[in-house]
Amino acid sequence: MKFGYTSWLPETELVNTFTEALGNNKLLGTRCRKCKQKYLPPRAHCKCGSTELEWFDAPNRGKIRTYTVVSFAPESMSKYAPYIVGIAEVEGGMSLMGQLTGVAPSTLKVGLPIQIVAHHPNTDRTVYKFKPA
Amino acid sequence: MPSKVGIVGIGHSKFGKRADATIRELAHEAVRPALEDAGLTVGDMDASVIGIAGEEFAMQGAPAAVVHDYVGMRNKPTYRVEAACATGSAAIRTAWALINSKLHDVVLVIGAETMTRVSSARATELMARAGDTRWEYPFGITFPGFYALMATAHMSEFGTTREQLSMVSVKNHKYGAMNPYAHLQKEVSLEEAVKSIIISHPLNLYDCCLISDGAAAVVMASEEKAKQITDTPIWIRGLGAASDSMLIAERPTLTGLMGTKAAAKRAYEMAGIGPGDVDVAEVHDCFTIAEIMAYEDLGFCEKGKGGKFIEEQQSYIGGEVPVNIDGGLKSKGHPLGATGVSMAVELVKQLRGEAGNRQVSNAEIALSHNVGETGQFVFVHIYSR
Repeated sequence: MKFGYTSWLPETELVNTFTEALGNNKLLGTRCRKCKQKYLPPRAHCKCGSTELEWFDAPNRGKIRTYTVVSFAPESMSKYAPYIVGIAEVEGGMSLMGQLTGVAPSTLKVGLPIQIVAHHPNTDRTVYKFKPA
Repeated sequence: MPSKVGIVGIGHSKFGKRADATIRELAHEAVRPALEDAGLTVGDMDASVIGIAGEEFAMQGAPAAVVHDYVGMRNKPTYRVEAACATGSAAIRTAWALINSKLHDVVLVIGAETMTRVSSARATELMARAGDTRWEYPFGITFPGFYALMATAHMSEFGTTREQLSMVSVKNHKYGAMNPYAHLQKEVSLEEAVKSIIISHPLNLYDCCLISDGAAAVVMASEEKAKQITDTPIWIRGLGAASDSMLIAERPTLTGLMGTKAAAKRAYEMAGIGPGDVDVAEVHDCFTIAEIMAYEDLGFCEKGKGGKFIEEQQSYIGGEVPVNIDGGLKSKGHPLGATGVSMAVELVKQLRGEAGNRQVSNAEIALSHNVGETGQFVFVHIYSR
């Protein structure tokens, strides 16, 4: 299973674990065992230099910090346009980019409570998306 | 203490959709007048620093090698520099360091890019790949999209308006119409700018800079050499550089660029001045919201007051700090590698009093602000007579 609406990067162990869990509706982040820094999306190495990271269940709720409606999409995404991309503040002090569905752009406001759910753009791809909570 | 480095020659190609020239010819179009301006020949150059952001756009691998040879620099050292949209300013900073290290005395800096060989959708795709290809690009975010995220946040937090965004565009087109090197030399009304087609809400077509071809060049020299070469060197008084997180979502604030604040602080300290001393500025207006945030992050006005700053025309000639008096990226165009060098060319003209009908009277201190991506690269340079 590949991650995202589009991408060509190799599916590393980190991304495979993340994507597989996402398919089971679990959002995973990584946490540094040394400095306790949490990463969502996950990283294989900590910015403190440590390579000792462990998986944790991230909260699947948050609120919209900001958003845009992409009308003019990159070549690889034109079939999906227009679409909303937002940044959500996730409970626990994390922040995540994703697409948002289930809300009319004209009624959308910063601060909208959302939940983070798995989405399958097609049979071999998985991504998370935001929808109103 | 670093010693002084001067700019002793400037040159600029016409920016635009330049199907008549490849990147080597555009570079030549900028280098020739830069050497003439300095009264030097290519044989007087010790090395070149060449800023070209992307070979995908040039459709030529290692394009700096082609440019270096074409302008006649065979057998001299060359360095290719890349910092996305801030590539040109990174090239100037690199040349400054090479001269200050005494490795070279006189350096030719060339910034060049060809971007119109590909379709707009392709260009949008190529630029989107400069976002994080693991955790941002897979959601379909574009560069207008990244800045639209900041615009939504700024409008929501500070009440910045649709009209205020468009006012930046109106100003930059007004001055771009007076610049013979600008890509789009035409004025635009506020109504036209407000009503143009949406690219990535809330940003519309007139909020976005142009996709352009072009080149700019400067000759830089050590203090001793600069004084021998010309009676009117323009000195680099301060430099500041910084960077922000790769993932935009990681940033604690989305209404400004932390990299701009940090780079500006370093540059002001090095020059021993403050924002109130700046007589004329070139700032990175890749999108209208970027210019509004730059007013704030560079200290020209308080945080959140950038919209009001343009509404009161404080960034026009006659205002507190005239900004982008050459048309900016919006009207002059934004050939990535050329932009930072083009900023230096304009500011040298302003400080020499050679800017014609766009001259800011008695300009003594000038500032350039060049951003790569969404602040992963930021360069601030301060110049004076």
